Amino acid sequence: MHADIARIDLRLRRRSILWFAGGLAFYAFILVAMYPSVRSDSSLGDLTANNPTVGALLGVNGSLTSPTGWVNGNLYANFLPLMILLLTIGYGASCIAGQSEDGTLGLVAALPVSRRRLVLEKSAVLALIALPVAVVTMAFILLGRHYDLTLPTSAVVGTTVAVLVMGVDFGLVALIIGVLTGSRGMALGLASGLAAASYLVSSLAPVIGWARTVRPASLFYWAVGSDQLTAGPSSTAWAVLLISALVLNGLAVVLVQRLDIR
Amino acid sequence: MASTVIQTHALTRSFGPRRGIVDVDLAVEPGQIFGFLGPNGAGKSTTIRILMGLYHASSGSARVLGLDPFADAVEVHRRTGYLPGELAVYPRLTGRQVLDRFASVRGLRGTRYRDQLVERFGAEVDRPTQTLSKGNKQKLGLVLAFMHRPELLVLDEPTSGLDPLLQLEFATLLQETTAAGRTVFLSSHDLDEVQRVVHRLAIIREGRIVVTDTVEGLRRHAPRTVELTFDHDVDASALDRVDAVQASAWTDPGHLRLTVAGPMAPVLRAIAPLDPVDLFARPADLDELFLGYYRSTDLQEA
Ligand SMILES: Nc1ncnc2c1ncn2[C@@H]1O[C@H](COP(=O)(O)OP(=O)(O)O)[C@@H](O)[C@H]1O
Ligand SMILES: [Mg+2]
Repeated sequence: MHADIARIDLRLRRRSILWFAGGLAFYAFILVAMYPSVRSDSSLGDLTANNPTVGALLGVNGSLTSPTGWVNGNLYANFLPLMILLLTIGYGASCIAGQSEDGTLGLVAALPVSRRRLVLEKSAVLALIALPVAVVTMAFILLGRHYDLTLPTSAVVGTTVAVLVMGVDFGLVALIIGVLTGSRGMALGLASGLAAASYLVSSLAPVIGWARTVRPASLFYWAVGSDQLTAGPSSTAWAVLLISALVLNGLAVVLVQRLDIR
Repeated sequence: MASTVIQTHALTRSFGPRRGIVDVDLAVEPGQIFGFLGPNGAGKSTTIRILMGLYHASSGSARVLGLDPFADAVEVHRRTGYLPGELAVYPRLTGRQVLDRFASVRGLRGTRYRDQLVERFGAEVDRPTQTLSKGNKQKLGLVLAFMHRPELLVLDEPTSGLDPLLQLEFATLLQETTAAGRTVFLSSHDLDEVQRVVHRLAIIREGRIVVTDTVEGLRRHAPRTVELTFDHDVDASALDRVDAVQASAWTDPGHLRLTVAGPMAPVLRAIAPLDPVDLFARPADLDELFLGYYRSTDLQEA
């Protein structure tokens, strides 16, 4: 047994994994290459420095043209998580509910593989499908030091991993909603909605009081919402993100064990 | 019997208020080909999914290979080959990719038997399965079910989509399988397709088993048709009083048709005084009987 079920699912998504990784690598490169020409643009910098609301919406704390401001505002606080969530929520919704809807799950569930193992392989795929996107993006951002865009390496690596874990968390949420509702569409919709709410809470917290109150419930906050590119995610952030993954995974195992599979 | 391969007692599954299956009792012995027959929606697939540990039962018990289908699912699946009723394989993978992965999950190293099966059924394995016809997908499904030479085969409507020649090949494969002491449990909604291959069968209707018997036994109990020709007016009411006569009807003036279930001698004794000029008896029409089980409203265990 060599994680064959995971391999099947990865194979099915190979193309979209590559396209996402290629697309985001290109975007990250443009972003890095543009930096030398924007970093001295004070009007662009003041856009967020003087207006915390705009800064909040972009996920920037301070100047947009500082290295962290530029990378957060254009990538880590929004675009990178969005792309990773598209992959993980998409897979989470399809890997049980979707495959059950198109009938392919029955054949797999009749293989000599326990349901616990089935869920573990699907969870592993959640992490693996987003890994290439995260790694190539991170690589280009780290190349930024040749374009005056210097960020602490450990903070960039840490934040990238945190975004990845958050992607897995929301992917598991989609998987669980799919198991509960039996509907891929419902899983996609509800999980995306939750992710969007989580994003809004995290990004509006600096300017809206109630958002700040509920902010600890937002995974976005723990992954990218508090200037992680400067110091890396806190140990509390790691605990929240990783414990969420473990709990969600455990819940998924229990629910899938009780599931009727066609 | 300790070695009974499939044993269920009062197996019941409901879907909310909807009937699934009710009090299903089955016993399948080693080396048998057991047919599970019933019209669409009768509960065949539901029963099979419970046996495969895919569905939970609402009540009752099921043992497969002496194991609990849910708690011991991995062991049951290792020793069983399963063909789902509405087979769906990953549309974008080729048959070969699916076969390779599934063989790897099962820890199969040799591909000889699998290749033989592919050849025998003429399964198309080099194209994405979404381009395959229903019959071609079904062939792939059969290879997936048989390739690890399981002790037990659970096949949900295996012959649907197969042309007559392949049905014959499939029947041969079943004979070989049971000759090697392995067991087959298969469902069908068409008696014709399976009556020559199954040793024993159960008929399920609206979620309940209505009869379990051998094909031979069913045939024995099946009503025979006796047609009588007369050249004079007769009063046939005496015939209706014979127990074995289920029905009588004049098809033409001078032609009487009897449906007889049970011993023939009393019928013959009642016929003789009526002085028919001709008598014609047809053997059991299994299809008729089968349709009767499908249709009739108050059924008893045979
Ligand atoms: N997952 C399910 N949810 C609700 N009803 C179901 C489900 N599976 C089967 N049924 C119902 O159970 C009955 C038996 O269906 P099934 O076992 O598929 O019949 P068959 O295989 O004999 O055609 C049908 O009325 C069907 O609608
Ligand atoms: Mg069916």
